[in-house]
Amino acid sequence: MDSDAGLGSTADDYESLLSTTDAELWKSAWRNEKAAPEILKYDVDLIQRSRQQIQLMEEMADEFNKNGVDPLTVSLYQMDLDRTMFLMRSYLRTRLQKIEKYVFHIQKTAEQWNRLSRQEQKFAKRYATDLEHHLDQSVLSKLPDQYRSHLRQSAASEEDDMVPEPKLDTYVICKSKKYLGSFQLDDGEEEEVINIEADDLYALPYKSIKPLVESGQIDLV
Amino acid sequence: MYGRKASELVKEFASCEPGQLSTFNNDLFTQVLEECDGHLLHLQPLMRKIQDHENELKDCRRSEDDIGSSEDESRKSEAEKLVIQNALKSNQFGALVHHLSLVRNKRCLMAYIHNRAEVIRNLGWMVERVLPEEIQEKLSSSEEEYFKNHVATLQSYTSEVDLQLNVDMVPPKDPFVKVRVLDDIGQIMLSDQVANLARHAIMFLRRTDAEQYITQGQMEELTS
Repeated sequence: MDSDAGLGSTADDYESLLSTTDAELWKSAWRNEKAAPEILKYDVDLIQRSRQQIQLMEEMADEFNKNGVDPLTVSLYQMDLDRTMFLMRSYLRTRLQKIEKYVFHIQKTAEQWNRLSRQEQKFAKRYATDLEHHLDQSVLSKLPDQYRSHLRQSAASEEDDMVPEPKLDTYVICKSKKYLGSFQLDDGEEEEVINIEADDLYALPYKSIKPLVESGQIDLV
Repeated sequence: MYGRKASELVKEFASCEPGQLSTFNNDLFTQVLEECDGHLLHLQPLMRKIQDHENELKDCRRSEDDIGSSEDESRKSEAEKLVIQNALKSNQFGALVHHLSLVRNKRCLMAYIHNRAEVIRNLGWMVERVLPEEIQEKLSSSEEEYFKNHVATLQSYTSEVDLQLNVDMVPPKDPFVKVRVLDDIGQIMLSDQVANLARHAIMFLRRTDAEQYITQGQMEELTS
């Protein structure tokens, strides 16, 4: 993917300005998604661009095969292709697994619902219906009336207390690309201010750095 | 003791190896449900008695306000009120115990079903459509239906995204893999060739093709 920056996608100039190639973007998106406890925003452009490039790569690899180019070159291209496909598949898989874990919470929170792609939203809806139906059939229909909700413990509960939520205060290890200066950690009573330098590793609770991760200034490791 | 059977159910699930399922314990499950019904039978009359007591207390207080009573009468009505309040409290505590036990049973049952459903989902990643016999007899009928629905949902997502999601579980080191075939599979159409997969054959296949068979146990990867 590093070599085919010249394959003519319009986002190229912008990318070279930021000196991040698609490969870098993919790696950081994949790492962030794996390390974050909640689901992050779906990068539509990245996936679309990568698909086009993968198609071009495949055609190129086929052509090389037919023309009998040095098999080493072909296998290198194939390797590159495989690794990109792995990143894409693993990224989508991690997101699906997070959806499966926290589907009821995601459906309730509009902000999280908007982070899913269209296909993921369809999947989430069907999956939630399946799970509800299964729970209903096995347990809930046999319980007394006031206890039949799958979101609340009983009709007397004040809020939906049976919905699992992602733990936002787990500690994550992160690294910033640039010097971000002093940053306020909300630790409740203690107000700690830390200096975030470039390329230093920090272990912080995810909640404190959530806005920075979303804007892309900090990367999770 | 209330809640003991439900905790047995949860312990049974926890004592299995992670990723493995034990047979769906229908007996224990129905016993816990019966216990819940029992709780409800106790709860309803208690709630009614509580309502009655509260009404009586309200009446007492209203009659005190309306009629200016003498000292004797006020002392008598205080004693009455105390009796009603004590009865009210004991009924409230009883109702609370039944309600909390019911809620706990509900949580245990749902945890049992929910965690089994998670194990079933993980199986769905490894297997294409049909579960092997030994696993299928361990599931209840509702779980089998859930598995089918889940596989269908996954497949509809996969076809929309147009990307096979259950290959490449491990980062690829090599585009091609050497495998030994363990079961007789016969002629299979792979991505670029037709291969005859006979038992004990050693083949050099693309990783994406071979991975499905490796997870199902029909092929073995040769790492030497």
